[in-house]
Amino acid sequence: MVTDQQNHHDEIEIVRVGKVFGQGDTAYHALIDIDLAIRSGEFFTLLGPSGCGKTTLLRVIAGFEHPNSGTLRIKGVDVAGQAPNQRRVNTVFQNYALFPHLTVAQNIGFGLKMLGRPRAEIAATTDEMMHLVKMDSMAARKPAELSGGQQQRVALARALAPRPNVLLLDEPLSALDLKLRKEMQTELKRLQVETGITFVFVTHDQEEALTMSDRIAVMQQGRILQLGTPQEIYHAPTTRFVADFIGETNVLNLQVVAVQGNSAELALPSGQVVSARLAAGLVPKQGDTVAAVIRPEQATLTTPDAGHMPATVHNAVFFGTDTHIHLTLADGQPFILRRQNNAGLSDPEQGSQIGVTLAQGALQILKGD
Amino acid sequence: MNRSTHGWKWLLVSPALLVLVFAASGPLLIVAVYSFLSPGNMGGVAWEFSTEAWFRVFFKRDIFEPENVALNADFLAVFQRTLWLSFQTTVICALLGFPTAWFIATRPPHRRMIWLFLITVPFWTNLLIRTFAIQELIRNNGTINTLLQWLGITSRPIDMMYTDFAVLMGMSYVFLPLMVLPLYAAMEKLDFRLVEAGYDLYASRMQVLRHVILPLVKPGFIAGSILVFIPSIGAYVTPSVLGGGRSMMVGNLIALQFGQGRNWPLGAALAMLLLVVVVTALIFYLRVTSRETGERHG
Amino acid sequence: MANPAFDVRRLPGFGTVAILTLALLYLPIVMLVVFSFNEAPSQSTWGGFSLKWYEAAFNNRQVIEVSIRSLWLALVAAGISTFLATLAALATTRVGRFPGQTMIYALINQPLMVPEIVTGIALLIFVAFLKVQTGYTGMGYLVLAHTAFCIPFAYLPIRARLETMDLTLERAAADLYATPVKTFTYVTFPLLVPGIVAGFMLGFVVSLDTVVITEFVKSAGQDTLPTYMLGQLRRSITPEMNAIATLFLALSLVVVSLFFLITRKRG
Repeated sequence: MVTDQQNHHDEIEIVRVGKVFGQGDTAYHALIDIDLAIRSGEFFTLLGPSGCGKTTLLRVIAGFEHPNSGTLRIKGVDVAGQAPNQRRVNTVFQNYALFPHLTVAQNIGFGLKMLGRPRAEIAATTDEMMHLVKMDSMAARKPAELSGGQQQRVALARALAPRPNVLLLDEPLSALDLKLRKEMQTELKRLQVETGITFVFVTHDQEEALTMSDRIAVMQQGRILQLGTPQEIYHAPTTRFVADFIGETNVLNLQVVAVQGNSAELALPSGQVVSARLAAGLVPKQGDTVAAVIRPEQATLTTPDAGHMPATVHNAVFFGTDTHIHLTLADGQPFILRRQNNAGLSDPEQGSQIGVTLAQGALQILKGD
Repeated sequence: MNRSTHGWKWLLVSPALLVLVFAASGPLLIVAVYSFLSPGNMGGVAWEFSTEAWFRVFFKRDIFEPENVALNADFLAVFQRTLWLSFQTTVICALLGFPTAWFIATRPPHRRMIWLFLITVPFWTNLLIRTFAIQELIRNNGTINTLLQWLGITSRPIDMMYTDFAVLMGMSYVFLPLMVLPLYAAMEKLDFRLVEAGYDLYASRMQVLRHVILPLVKPGFIAGSILVFIPSIGAYVTPSVLGGGRSMMVGNLIALQFGQGRNWPLGAALAMLLLVVVVTALIFYLRVTSRETGERHG
Repeated sequence: MANPAFDVRRLPGFGTVAILTLALLYLPIVMLVVFSFNEAPSQSTWGGFSLKWYEAAFNNRQVIEVSIRSLWLALVAAGISTFLATLAALATTRVGRFPGQTMIYALINQPLMVPEIVTGIALLIFVAFLKVQTGYTGMGYLVLAHTAFCIPFAYLPIRARLETMDLTLERAAADLYATPVKTFTYVTFPLLVPGIVAGFMLGFVVSLDTVVITEFVKSAGQDTLPTYMLGQLRRSITPEMNAIATLFLALSLVVVSLFFLITRKRG
């Protein structure tokens, strides 16, 4: 049973929440059976392709959408009846939604003004926020005079000024160019750690999710497919979709030879056996054919007769820090192998035969989709 | 565009311009000229230069002691009434028109057309018919009085006709759609994500209205106000029918000079005065809106 | 567990005021129409359903005469003004800046900005002068006055249509060896027709509606329906006026609906 103390450790509890738009034939299930607990002070990310429901879930937390089923609790309190302006939750909108008729300072101070705080406090907090996001000199400017990156920082400051318990960020970096984006990612992470506010971050960029998050929930078509730390999601994806969505991956269909606890032995075409991890709750039987994934950097190049699998080189793509070598396996399936570009190794020739060694225990067996 | 087509353009546009100059703009010049002439014996003008008409617009001369000059209180009362009634009309139209425009703008898109149609129909109805309709409601044997007496609320009819109140009712009724349409246009373009942001930042509904919505629809609001105010000050039919001789506005005063008043130059001078006020209001409006759009685009 | 959703579009009380306002907007007109079918000669007590006022209106020779005159005047004025406005729109739209632009726009839009009473008495003076000089007292003055007044109303929809028209169609025609005249006849003009029709309808309604200008320009025996009604309003009122007003209203409704349909079809 969940105790009261445990309850308050969780900032947000989402219990079996569902959301449907429309009715009857045109009903669209945006959220299906969402179960989630976000901890205080956590940088939590909702990751998924567009249309997966991540933004809807964010809006449910903010109070702009009401769930058709399930419960939403913030700091242990059921917020079903609470309007957005009653929840201590603030949003950084995707298009920033800065008030065009107000200056930067007025935008930032808006929340506090609505809460009726004294002028002196508003001024002090506004200054503090502008300093935090490094926009000190821009107080009197209007949003139309700012660049995209500057607007984003103002939106952030505006949402932080009322010192909410939870900050919701709806793909805030998607409109920025690459370099600015990387800068802002570091900034956001730093801010989150400094302020200790729970961040719920929505993005479709898996790299962003991996670099910034404490935990990630991968969503697809209204459901959460997997919840875990970036390492767990990356190294131990439980479904094909998650494996494909995050980074590059190779899929091998192999037969189970033996099962022991949370690992199994799989048979390779060459007859060799390699160990693999099992996704939680999975219990395959001997003789089953399962899908297993392995990341490109967990395979190494070797001579054709050594290694686990023979392969033919298709081509090699240079990526600066490493090289991706595209191979074709004996059964015709493609395979990607990643190799760091130190040691001054030369690329293998196109069409040449090589061998692939799979790191032991790196294979992850997936649940059926 | 080469030279020959340029000539073409002028040829095309000139018939319209000719008609307009002849029958609209040109006559205005004549009015200006007439305001400086003397009244003729049986109406019309005598071709003698005189500033008496302009003098009479603002001042009164004692018939027996011409040195006694006082402000023309009667005319002043008319001017005052005109401005005051027009202002009140604008306020009433704003108070009723804003929620109406908001209501239409927040209907689902496929239903909006119907509501727009509904608000437009009275606007296209003949001004006279609309004024007549109001008269039928408020006159002593009219609908409202009959209803009140039938319900036992009053025993005698309430005199509503031929008062400032009647004119105000009439003008508000007639000009209301003119406030709604520009407001609606501005509200339709409103980015509701900004409204959401307002709520997200703890604003109550009234605070969102005051701090987010109103500032953002201000151009529509100003346009609507001008569209009501300017025709109001130039109104003739409505005050004529509903106000009679007792609640005169500038328009009626002008018409009087060409009827019973038999003082064409005075009428011309008053007309010029009205024109100047209207043009000033228009210029003011243009200044304000260009400043707004200038500010908006930074 | 369906909670009422938080609607950012809702403002307390606004819906009620809006519906009330719309009801108030229609109430006087509805009363007018209802009592036009009143058996009793009053707008306060209902005496039963009757069409007698409509009969009276149709038998009233004066009413018939002024109605026909109004319609004739509206058709002629709208027709001429639409023609002139089309020419003017073609000349002034899609051509960038040209010398005298502001003045031309001011002239064209002037009837919209100047109070009708001012234009009315201006024309009164002018026409009085012409009457003395030429001795002509026919309908020409009214036609001229109405035409001038209608021009900006016809101009605006035509110009709007021209500006949203796809230029590439005309270029395609030119590319296919059409002369400017042929391009206009077969491409530009057909596409422009909805705008022209809208302009005509606008001008038609405006001319029908005009009271002030007509009142000051007309000679004896040249009453239009609005000026006739104005005269009647100042004297006795019977539900016959209601009947006439209702018919007039029906006509406006038809024209407005048509106008809406035409301008909406284009999306």
